[in-house]
Amino acid sequence: MKIHQVYFAVALTLALALTAAVADTRLNSNQIANSLVGVDAKLSLTAAQLRQDAIDNVKNYPGTTAIGHLLVYPQMDKLAQFTVEINFDFGSAAIRPESYRDVGAIADALHNPILLGYGILVIGHTDTVGSRAYNIGLSQRRADAIREALIDPFGVNAAVLEAVGMGEEQLRDPQHGTAAVNRRVQLVNVGKRFCFGRSGEQFQCP
Amino acid sequence: MKQTAFVFALLLLIGAVGAAKTDTLSYADAAQQLYTACRGDLQKYCRGVELGGGRLKGCLDGHQNVLSPQCQQTRAFVYASIARRAAAQRNIGDICSADIERLCGTSHADANLVTCLRGIAPVAISPQCNDAFTDTGWRTERPQQ
Repeated sequence: MKIHQVYFAVALTLALALTAAVADTRLNSNQIANSLVGVDAKLSLTAAQLRQDAIDNVKNYPGTTAIGHLLVYPQMDKLAQFTVEINFDFGSAAIRPESYRDVGAIADALHNPILLGYGILVIGHTDTVGSRAYNIGLSQRRADAIREALIDPFGVNAAVLEAVGMGEEQLRDPQHGTAAVNRRVQLVNVGKRFCFGRSGEQFQCP
Repeated sequence: MKQTAFVFALLLLIGAVGAAKTDTLSYADAAQQLYTACRGDLQKYCRGVELGGGRLKGCLDGHQNVLSPQCQQTRAFVYASIARRAAAQRNIGDICSADIERLCGTSHADANLVTCLRGIAPVAISPQCNDAFTDTGWRTERPQQ
């Protein structure tokens, strides 16, 4: 083996090792799908109620942050769910191109046969930058944008997806309001909604 | 020696073309390929355009004369693959209805149907159903439970 061949072999091994390391940290659609199955419970809360709760929380407990009066849903915490970070342009609902892949991975998971027919809530959360009312609107637009992308181009059945924006009313790290962990998208399986007939028609499962 | 290399290269090429024809990309891979090939063009021509609702595709279509060749090519391939996979996933119950009745005894296009089709040798499935099943990606992307 000539020296340059050895170099090449070493470089190739390194490149492969690096690729593997990078691949491991990326969102894996099987992992998402597995996190979204398991608990087969129905959520009695509707998307409309959650939206209203966020707006009411600002009204009932005004202030620069909701700390001390964060919304909690013990019932929802028990459901199968997965949390992702999707990047958006500042103050905008346009998903940044570097996050296209992760939205695709969510689509792959939702197309997984084990999740067919299950209702999925797409819940957007922000950090404490910006006013609370503004953040509810922004997170709603962002959750809507993710829902829309999942439907077109990624072909997820629109009937199983609902989008909700909770703003900063459910901070994950209240001690550090501006922390990145607060900016997140939560996917929650809210129970079987449909079965599908042979020609793809939806009906209530027997 | 040279001939062997040529035959090998030819086989590789046939393999690559064959794979491009028969397999659809996962949505994650499709999106990643679009991003990788079109990164610069997206920044230049479609900044702030939303991915969903056909808006990004519309932007790329609207700029097709100025896109980099690499983006131009990948864009067409990626959107075609996404459309094919989505259509197969949507219509598999319809396309495979006779096969489902004959082989699976289920009337629902659900996880049971996929498990059933996976358990059957491709030669025993009708060609249309088999092609559609391949396009869904469900043959190889196994849900782990």
